[in-house]
Amino acid sequence: MSEKKSAKVKKRLKTAGKLGKLMDDYYKESAVVKAEKKPVAWLTSVAPVEVCYALDVFPLYPENYATMCSARKLSAEFCAEAEAKGFSPDLCSYALNSFGSIYLDKGPFMGKGLPEPDMLIATEHACLSMTKWWEVLARHYNVPLYVVDAALPIDDEVTSYQVKYFADQLRELVEFVEEHSGNKFDIDRFKEVLGYSDEASKLFMEVGDLRKTIPSPVSPVEIFTNMFPLVTLAGKRESTEFYREFCDEIKALAEKKVPAVPNEKYRLLWDLFPVWYNLRLFRYMEEKGGVVVADVYATAFGGRIDISRPFEGLAERYVANPILTSGVPNLTELYKRLVKEFSVDGVVFHSNRSCRMASMGQYDIKQGIFDDLGVPGAIFETDFIDPRTYSDEQVKDTLDSLFEILEARK
Amino acid sequence: MIADFQEKYSNRHQIAGQWKKDGKKVFGYFCGYVPEELISAAGIIPVRVLGSLDTVSLADAHLQTFICAFARSCLDQGLKGVYDYLDGIVISKTCDITRKMLGIWAKNINIPFTAFIGAPSKRTESARDCLTEEFRDLRSKLEEFTGKKIDDDSINRSIEIYNKSRQLLNELYEMKKADNPPLSGSEFYQVVKAGFVTPKEEYNEMLSALKAKLASSKPSGDGKIRLMVSGSTFEDVNVLKMIEDVGGNVVADDLCIGRRYFRDLTQPASDPIRALADRYQMKITCPCKHPSDERLYRLIEDVKEYRVQGVISIVQKYCDTHLFEYPYMRDMLQKNDIPFLYLETEDRMGEEGQFKTRVQAFLEMMG
Ligand code: SF4
Ligand code: SF4
Repeated sequence: MSEKKSAKVKKRLKTAGKLGKLMDDYYKESAVVKAEKKPVAWLTSVAPVEVCYALDVFPLYPENYATMCSARKLSAEFCAEAEAKGFSPDLCSYALNSFGSIYLDKGPFMGKGLPEPDMLIATEHACLSMTKWWEVLARHYNVPLYVVDAALPIDDEVTSYQVKYFADQLRELVEFVEEHSGNKFDIDRFKEVLGYSDEASKLFMEVGDLRKTIPSPVSPVEIFTNMFPLVTLAGKRESTEFYREFCDEIKALAEKKVPAVPNEKYRLLWDLFPVWYNLRLFRYMEEKGGVVVADVYATAFGGRIDISRPFEGLAERYVANPILTSGVPNLTELYKRLVKEFSVDGVVFHSNRSCRMASMGQYDIKQGIFDDLGVPGAIFETDFIDPRTYSDEQVKDTLDSLFEILEARK
Repeated sequence: MIADFQEKYSNRHQIAGQWKKDGKKVFGYFCGYVPEELISAAGIIPVRVLGSLDTVSLADAHLQTFICAFARSCLDQGLKGVYDYLDGIVISKTCDITRKMLGIWAKNINIPFTAFIGAPSKRTESARDCLTEEFRDLRSKLEEFTGKKIDDDSINRSIEIYNKSRQLLNELYEMKKADNPPLSGSEFYQVVKAGFVTPKEEYNEMLSALKAKLASSKPSGDGKIRLMVSGSTFEDVNVLKMIEDVGGNVVADDLCIGRRYFRDLTQPASDPIRALADRYQMKITCPCKHPSDERLYRLIEDVKEYRVQGVISIVQKYCDTHLFEYPYMRDMLQKNDIPFLYLETEDRMGEEGQFKTRVQAFLEMMG
């Protein structure tokens, strides 16, 4: 079903077809790289992949992979397998999916799990589960692991020593990748890679800004599916080119005021993860006139880089990430800003039981937005990739009650 | 004697209320990674925020049910006004829950001072440099709050008092190596818990007196199966009592409110802030830190040293860091032929009853 839907999306945007090819090429290349015994690294989704590209190490992302397993309806089986091995069903299902796919050596590409890693790289500014998950991988594969740790500002300003700590580790990470790949680091190459990465982020953020247009020229499914190169190919020229075309295409639509979704009645802010096995939920809302015009998920990735100070510049992108390293007070302010800037009528919170880090605080943020701006919100609970406890009826009830409130206000 | 300790803990909120009437300042802190020494050097009494066995009601409007019961219970107590005497709260980055907790407290509970320590997870030199700066920031914030400088001498004095306290707890803990430990598991943790809510000078006197008394006492507890308890913020003494009732005795632990809290002392150094940063970053790890394997190696060694016959792991449901490590821990214990029971605590109420048959069966299997 969700695939049928994306087929329709592909027709709307020229760039959508290119995305499929980028993904395909990427996974095909991973198999070739492995066969040629070139180094492969597994990274958490918000990790400095630029270091890998600069050092010719092929990066793979178990998290992105989990979303694809989910879209192909494989996640329930994988999670169950991890649970049978003793991992609690309460753990992040991205991680459970990853373990299950390894144990079963199954997956959406060529029927196999991801090509095995030669080294592992994790960050923990987003959540601690990533470090714990990567520790499990390191024991399983018995390969070296580097964790890029972070001292977090939460609701204070980022300090220079927090940036320094991260930047020092990035320098160590370079040595780590050099050592385990046998390749040599070149600062100019690194800067070139950072340049592409920064440019891709800038373009993606421009697309984000174009969603301020009424009606929105781009749909949430187009945004979420088009995030793949931003995460996976950050620092590759192809990725930057893709976003240039994507941005141009959306800009043209915005100028002509072509709506992405007909009948845009209510403009919605979305927090945070999509329900990966049920992107149709967006369609359900759209049928009622509710269009997601802003989200904080995409904001969590990317971010600008000051290339003149490559290590510190890259460090700042992570330590000062407004979504991942903030507490409830700062997040409430940020959401309120989005509500105003994107003319938002209502906020939909996906309380994702896999991700305590992101879900905790949603009740207070929702209340804060309502108290200060009078904009209502609704919270529904699911797991983002594991459908085993999903209740379509409950989710739709929650959405419906939000639409009733919005309807009464129009 | 133990009753004195127990009273300190059960009456902690009234006692703190009295401090306030006497014009003292009181701060709450979460978890064993907050440098109490600094707070105390600022002339403020630090008390550890722990949950209760009350039913959670008010926290439901703020926290999903898939947030650990420890965090839910603490917040619930805060919302019910139990912690109204606090002038401040300090939280250090450990798990994903603690980092979000501070803002939720700050927003809903009227507390004049809040501080977050963005503590690193690793134990490298640069991590310790970073934590040193985090602690210096905390020092300035405390100075600003009280309007008084915190000089190095007062921090050194505070370190000495805390070291003494930890030293005494280590000595009591060591007594459990004996065939007949003079303190049972439940008694020992009542002693430890009192320390979280009692000013350390006073507490040290209580500990010294207890130590002297135990040196001349006739130990009880013969013939019980020697156990270790491993887990996170497990704090329900009733469960330990139940274990004793069915023939076990906890002689060693791997708990945030146990040995992980007191094993390591601060090594004096010319810069006391640095000394504290080294202590907190290098202390025995909890699974929230990386790499955390050392905890498990340590656990296996302790099993030998304390002649532990079986390990009971009591993990808080939804506590990700401990849950991620569980299968590894299980395999490691199996490899070392150490009998092992896994219990998951959820709502913290009357769990001694629910766990009883399983503990009984476990002990029978070993007996
Ligand atoms: S817990 Fe949340 S942030 Fe962490 S890996 Fe899972 S989804 Fe990502
Ligand atoms: S019990 Fe676990 S999840 Fe809960 S606060 Fe403690 S370490 Fe965090």
